[in-house]
Amino acid sequence: MAVSHHEIKEQIRELIYNTCIHLDDYEWQKWHNNCADNFNYAIRAFSPEVQTDIKYHGGDKEYMESITNMLNKHNSDQSPLRRHCTVYRVDVAEDGKSATAISSLTVHQTQLDGVNSHVDAGTTSVFLVGRYNDTFVIDGKSIKFEDREVRLDTRRLDKGTHWPI
Amino acid sequence: MSSRNHTQWNATPDLQRGEWVDSRIYSDDQIFEDELSKIWKKTWIPVCHESELKEAYSFRTMTIAREPVIVVRGKDMVVRAFLNVCPHRGNMIERRPAGNYKRGTPSGTPKTMTCMFHAWSFDMKGKCVNISRKEAGYQDRLNEDQVGLRELKCEVYFGGFVWVSLNDDIGVTVEEFAAGSLDVLAPSLNEEPLEVFHYHKAIIPCNYKLWHDTNCEFYHDYLHYHNRITGFNDAYFARKNNGFDGGHINVGSFEVQYENYEGSHGREELSFPHLPPNHWYMIDMFPGVNFNLRGSALRCDLMTPLGPNSVMIEFRGLGLASDSKKDRQTRIDHHNSIWGPFGRNLHEDLLAVTGQGSSMHPLAESRKILHGRHENETIHDENGMRHYYEEWGKLLNRSPSDPDKKFEPYPVFKEQEAQRAAAAVE
Ligand code: FES
Ligand SMILES: [Fe+2]
Repeated sequence: MAVSHHEIKEQIRELIYNTCIHLDDYEWQKWHNNCADNFNYAIRAFSPEVQTDIKYHGGDKEYMESITNMLNKHNSDQSPLRRHCTVYRVDVAEDGKSATAISSLTVHQTQLDGVNSHVDAGTTSVFLVGRYNDTFVIDGKSIKFEDREVRLDTRRLDKGTHWPI
Repeated sequence: MSSRNHTQWNATPDLQRGEWVDSRIYSDDQIFEDELSKIWKKTWIPVCHESELKEAYSFRTMTIAREPVIVVRGKDMVVRAFLNVCPHRGNMIERRPAGNYKRGTPSGTPKTMTCMFHAWSFDMKGKCVNISRKEAGYQDRLNEDQVGLRELKCEVYFGGFVWVSLNDDIGVTVEEFAAGSLDVLAPSLNEEPLEVFHYHKAIIPCNYKLWHDTNCEFYHDYLHYHNRITGFNDAYFARKNNGFDGGHINVGSFEVQYENYEGSHGREELSFPHLPPNHWYMIDMFPGVNFNLRGSALRCDLMTPLGPNSVMIEFRGLGLASDSKKDRQTRIDHHNSIWGPFGRNLHEDLLAVTGQGSSMHPLAESRKILHGRHENETIHDENGMRHYYEEWGKLLNRSPSDPDKKFEPYPVFKEQEAQRAAAAVE
């Protein structure tokens, strides 16, 4: 039975929100499982300093999996990041085989060990502001991310992070 | 003795002078002010790359030792630098980070730098070309010739970097200032035009010298899983850490084994002119500039010290202006995998210096920061930092290990001499 565009939109919203939970909770594999084999991820921002669009991070599915697989070998800031996301718009293609979505995104960071934990741990601040620009592939049974661009407004990331956004 | 009490902790380390510094040099307000006036206002500082000023009338703004600076490319394509300060009532003339004056501004006509406050305007050579209602207010007492911008020394040098000095009397060119430290990469960076493909900045709560130290010492490979897995071999440990006059150093190359890190690809396919693939060069210039070439990507860190415990670091990545789209993407991906704000190494380096910044305070029990490793001036030797602080001490006339005392030249290090002698015999 054909699924209505309305239902597809609902499922996409649910997928975006569930992905936020996976990423917040370091459930990287659940995130990867919701990405198509040809998935591509990129974090980008326009730099008014050098008047160029800058890619900060990203790659294909295999690369992003290797990034998350290697996390425990690295020293990282373990201060949790919490995504606050609102899906603003979902557009489903005529044929129902693909869709795009725009979501507004704010990520908060709650200090744990990044500075002097005795003083700073527990302090929450805005880590970044931006948007998710997502593309999905729909094959009747499932909806998967085909492309995710995290488009940043924030360009001062200071210490940065090892975690995908 | 195992752990130490106050007296023991404050005792002079059983090392030679120069093999440690006092942590006050990283936290003291007065020392910081001294550094701005005696070092940062006196020297050449690279401020941006010429590819950020491609066209006539383009500009970039920045800060050196709290002074707002603007760099513009004239109609004659010459890059000039000025204080970004209006001679009328001291407003900052340009507020944007970058742009082009071919288009007019709300207060000004095209092709001029116009101060929005009372619309005085200046051409690309810093000459005042308009004083609003001049005759009505100044009659014949003041004219445009008397109120030009403050021009600063400016050179484009070393692969197109734009260097500025606040010091009219500096008396040396950038080439002379570099004292040979840039030669190792000059043929590769001067062969054809470069282009900036990456820019991001960080403000970190630590002293700027802690970032420079980290760029100068490779012993912190233990911080980076990536380095340990791709770098630890005989050729790596044989790399020389070379000192040059003026406190600059550079580190020669070896072949990085990128394939040892899961998910990373060798960089065989791309390099810079005259460089074999997968090689890694590092230049650290006094007082706080870093050029780092790892195979396919050139990184450059420029620092703006903001306070004894605060520094802005601008990170750039560069490739060749002639890059194909595919090659450019490859350079960007290589760069980002270790040096982007989400990359492997940069985050780790920034965490470490943040930790140092958190632990050093001006009135704390002194920390003796050790720079005492001698390894035949190879990669894990700490001669790079010793070399830097000898120059630092000389310029401030303060002893790095006891900053209230006058500077005395560092001793000839016995171990270093012995190692040199042994190497000569071999
Ligand atoms: S302060 Fe610039 S025109 Fe008056
Ligand atoms: Fe490092």
